[in-house]
Amino acid sequence: MTTLERRTEGQLERRPDGQRRHRYSPVTWVRGGGLTNLVFLLPLLIVFGVFSWTPIVEAVVMSVQHTNLVTPATFVGVNNFVQVFKDPLFWTAVRNTGLFALLALIFGYPLPLILAVLMSEVRKAKGLFSALAYLPVVVPPVVAVLLWKFFYDASPTGVFNTVLHWVGIAPQPWIQNATSAMPSLVLEATWAAAGGTIIIYLAALTGVAPELYDAAEVDGSSIWQKIWHVTLPQLRGVLLVTLILQIIGTSQVFLEPFLFTNGGPANATVTILQLIYRYAFENSLGGNYGAATALSILLALFLAILSFVYFRITKSWSDN
Amino acid sequence: MTTGALTSELVADPGPERAAPPTATRQAKRGKSRSPEDSADRGIVSANDWRRPRIKWTWRVSHGILLVLLIIVGLGPLLWLAKSAITPTVDTLQNPMAIFPHGVDWSTLSNAWNKVGIGVQFMNTLWIAVGSWFLQLLVATTGGFALAILRPKYGKIINALVLSTLFVPAVVLLVPLYLTILHPPLINQSLINTYWAVWLPAGANAFNILLVTRFFNNLPREVFEAAKTDGAGPFRLFWSVVLPMSKPILGVISVFAIINAWKDYLWPFLVLRDPGVQPLSVRLPSLQQAIQLDVYLAALAISTLIPVVLFLIFQGMFLRSAGLGGAVKG
Amino acid sequence: MKSPIKVLLASAGALATVITFAGCSASPGAASNEKVSITVASLIPGSSKEAFAAFNARVKEFEKANPNITLKTEEYQWTGPTFSTQLAGGTLPDVFNVPFTDSKTLLQNGQLADITSEVKALPYASKFNKNVLSVAEDSSGKIYGLPYGPYAMGLSYNRAIFEKAGLDPNKPPTTWDEIRADAKIISEKVPGVAGYMQMTSKNTGGWELATTTYARGGRLETTDSSGKTTVKTDNPQTKAALQFLKDVRWTDNSAGSNFLLDWSGMNQAFGAGQVAMYPSGSDVLTSLVQTDNVSPKDYGLTTLPLTGTGAGVLSGGNVAAVSVKSTAAQKAAAVKWIDFYYIQQLVDKTQTVAAAKVLAASNQPVGVPTLPVFDQATYDQQQQWIKSEVNIPLSNVAPFTSKIFSSPIVPEPNKNTQELYGALDAVVQAVLTDKNADVDTLLKGVDSQIQALVDAGN
Repeated sequence: MTTLERRTEGQLERRPDGQRRHRYSPVTWVRGGGLTNLVFLLPLLIVFGVFSWTPIVEAVVMSVQHTNLVTPATFVGVNNFVQVFKDPLFWTAVRNTGLFALLALIFGYPLPLILAVLMSEVRKAKGLFSALAYLPVVVPPVVAVLLWKFFYDASPTGVFNTVLHWVGIAPQPWIQNATSAMPSLVLEATWAAAGGTIIIYLAALTGVAPELYDAAEVDGSSIWQKIWHVTLPQLRGVLLVTLILQIIGTSQVFLEPFLFTNGGPANATVTILQLIYRYAFENSLGGNYGAATALSILLALFLAILSFVYFRITKSWSDN
Repeated sequence: MTTGALTSELVADPGPERAAPPTATRQAKRGKSRSPEDSADRGIVSANDWRRPRIKWTWRVSHGILLVLLIIVGLGPLLWLAKSAITPTVDTLQNPMAIFPHGVDWSTLSNAWNKVGIGVQFMNTLWIAVGSWFLQLLVATTGGFALAILRPKYGKIINALVLSTLFVPAVVLLVPLYLTILHPPLINQSLINTYWAVWLPAGANAFNILLVTRFFNNLPREVFEAAKTDGAGPFRLFWSVVLPMSKPILGVISVFAIINAWKDYLWPFLVLRDPGVQPLSVRLPSLQQAIQLDVYLAALAISTLIPVVLFLIFQGMFLRSAGLGGAVKG
Repeated sequence: MKSPIKVLLASAGALATVITFAGCSASPGAASNEKVSITVASLIPGSSKEAFAAFNARVKEFEKANPNITLKTEEYQWTGPTFSTQLAGGTLPDVFNVPFTDSKTLLQNGQLADITSEVKALPYASKFNKNVLSVAEDSSGKIYGLPYGPYAMGLSYNRAIFEKAGLDPNKPPTTWDEIRADAKIISEKVPGVAGYMQMTSKNTGGWELATTTYARGGRLETTDSSGKTTVKTDNPQTKAALQFLKDVRWTDNSAGSNFLLDWSGMNQAFGAGQVAMYPSGSDVLTSLVQTDNVSPKDYGLTTLPLTGTGAGVLSGGNVAAVSVKSTAAQKAAAVKWIDFYYIQQLVDKTQTVAAAKVLAASNQPVGVPTLPVFDQATYDQQQQWIKSEVNIPLSNVAPFTSKIFSSPIVPEPNKNTQELYGALDAVVQAVLTDKNADVDTLLKGVDSQIQALVDAGN
């Protein structure tokens, strides 16, 4: 017990390691707590080792291999990447994913900010407002998509078309048309996600120092001027963070195109992640794991660049 | 050290899942709005502004409109689902917006639960949530304890390796992880159609490790000194001192774990092919075209009910977490 | 191109007789006392309680006859997109089915179990015609499955909707023009109903386009004498088939409003009375009753119009196969089950009647038209055996059964079939959702894409 105590104390006080290094042996390692450390780290090492680190390395290896699970894998160099680039669907998927991300920004980026600013000034029952805004986020994503799929029924008796009929608008094709399918998907995705973003902004808004508003009022600023000159600059960091997070998230969109349209009509909603899924799991005669991992590596590289930008921004933000 | 302060830091941290930061800040928000000394009473609009009728009424009216909009957009679809779950198929198809034109049909709910067997997938979802929750807590607390409090020499490397996985999008793991589940190392048995296929990868959550190590790093060292003086070894330190002090952060991780288990689709869809072990999220799409519309909508409603109820429970839980966080600080 | 089905039909007369006799003497084989448990594919997900009851009754009978075999059952539906996941994941039941189009490639890849010795042990094994088994045999004559349930494509229609629209349900359309005209009348007289529609999603769009192309005398793939396969969807007949769809959709507006329908989705829409006519397998009534609450008295089936030289009815079928992961004892048990469940009820009077009785007792349709495994005589004889059990109005399917035996039957394209179908899905969807879809360019794109796969040999 004394050994353990001393070790614990040593660890806690961060005694320089050099002191113990000269008498290093298996026995002293165990006595010094090396074994205990390992016991505590074991769950982490096993789970991360097997289900995170190894698969990541394997993904890189598999992207330059031909694997069919029956015969041994063979090295094929950049063939998988060439195959991906040659697939006409690849460029369709890139375009569609870009469109999804862009539309998601247009629909889903300014709106939560406006709502959050409005909601931050609510005096009574603020909790009710945020609960209502957050409710769609609580609905399981699969249920949300399946429910909206029904809302999007393109017949005149569809849910949304009935509502449109009340206000004198003709029935819309929603997801049954190559042009309107993607916006329809984004609309649902925005409904499902906006609540989360609103809550982020609300939190950030409470973090704005009241003195800044006081100072602005001394200068005679109107409410609009306060929003423009105080609130928005103070939210700059959060706004950039949500922007990048949203792009990273929407680049990996899968659920909506998979369950709403299965990529249709006429491939108008096939996304990159869906293409990866098709390569690997939708080939009735065996998966093309090489092409699937190659494409996922490409997507990861793209997102890594985004993450890098994101980190530079958060760094400069927290340095301020 | 309050949960609020801790989690608001999180927003600046990279999260692999988009769902995480919103919930984290949500707690921050609630934590703060409950403490009166906070700036809750002062926003963009000043007390002076509020006294001016024009400004006051502009805001009041816009808040009123906002509330109506939020009710329509946030609550509306769920109310529609609740209504349609007990409306006969024909009514829903012919006039989806009418409210019970030909009465209520409660049998849809029992049909969904018993005949279609949603009850099975409901229990499976609970199992998946409980298992993922336990494994995530186990890995995060033991790993966090070792990295933040025991601090072995190689800890920095492990920490860096763990954090680096935050930069790898989940999609990269999809195929190799699937193949790992098919042929796991050492055990010569596929994990497909077993809950381990979902639990184990869920345990490898770098975000949890980040949260817990940060929290442990910020725990007061004096408490450990006191425990040590009382003769506590590392295991007792972990179990009797660190864990009880960590309830707030464990609450946060628990909420994430359970919510994610409920939300996940693609991964369980790939590894749980047998309807007998599938969670609701995987089963519902395959029922879509196989059962009557009214029963199907009833199944959707049942699946939505629980997360909504849990959402209400979370609010209370956050309050307790914030209180405990304050106690640790004091 | 020699059609295996044609050969099958031609050569089946003698075979049927042999099997009928052999079948009578078929007994549960030399039973060892070793207990064995196997998982078998049951019905498709979402089937009714009654359908499962009927299936389970058959399982009980089998277990009674084979006390050392325990059957576990699992919902199963073959779909191109999901099959490979189950295959790679090792989650297939011990007994499952794959379509004719895929069995050859799968067995060549070593993904189906070799059941040669087990099949050879069946009393009628040596009498099997080579051509019957060819879809499940490799080049050295090893057997990897038993074909069953071949179907020909027909036109399913809703008799109740026909009556509502003032059409005579006993006089279904016999030309493409009549289909179009009837569809238009239906959509005008019965609002909210698609007069005519085709499947479009999860490879079924290509499957049905192949059907309507064949019916006009076209083909999607041709194989020359040297064995080289050419993909040519950019042909006049396919274009005519797409033009027909375009006319129904854009000129007549009688294709409804939902253009993303896979097999289950189409059946569900038909069951809900949202679609009046659609091309389907001749045996679809079974699942329409099982999962979509369709009443057989409202169901009608006729043949698709055949026009032009070379016109034929697209046909397919299934191979009951055994998982490569099964042990030797499981394989033996699996083949017994295949024999019992899939084959005996075609060739053995007692078994045929027993199976029909079980189905009828659970209100499942008996007498659903399939393509005869053997010839019309055998088919007629089998129909004779189950005559007292038939519970569907045979007159409703008479427009189909009266003509199908005189129609040329053509198998599906056999190189990269599912990829071809999947690529054509997008073309069919484009025609239905975009008035100005450029069919020529789209089809040329499919040709080059699938030709590359065929040439690469994977």
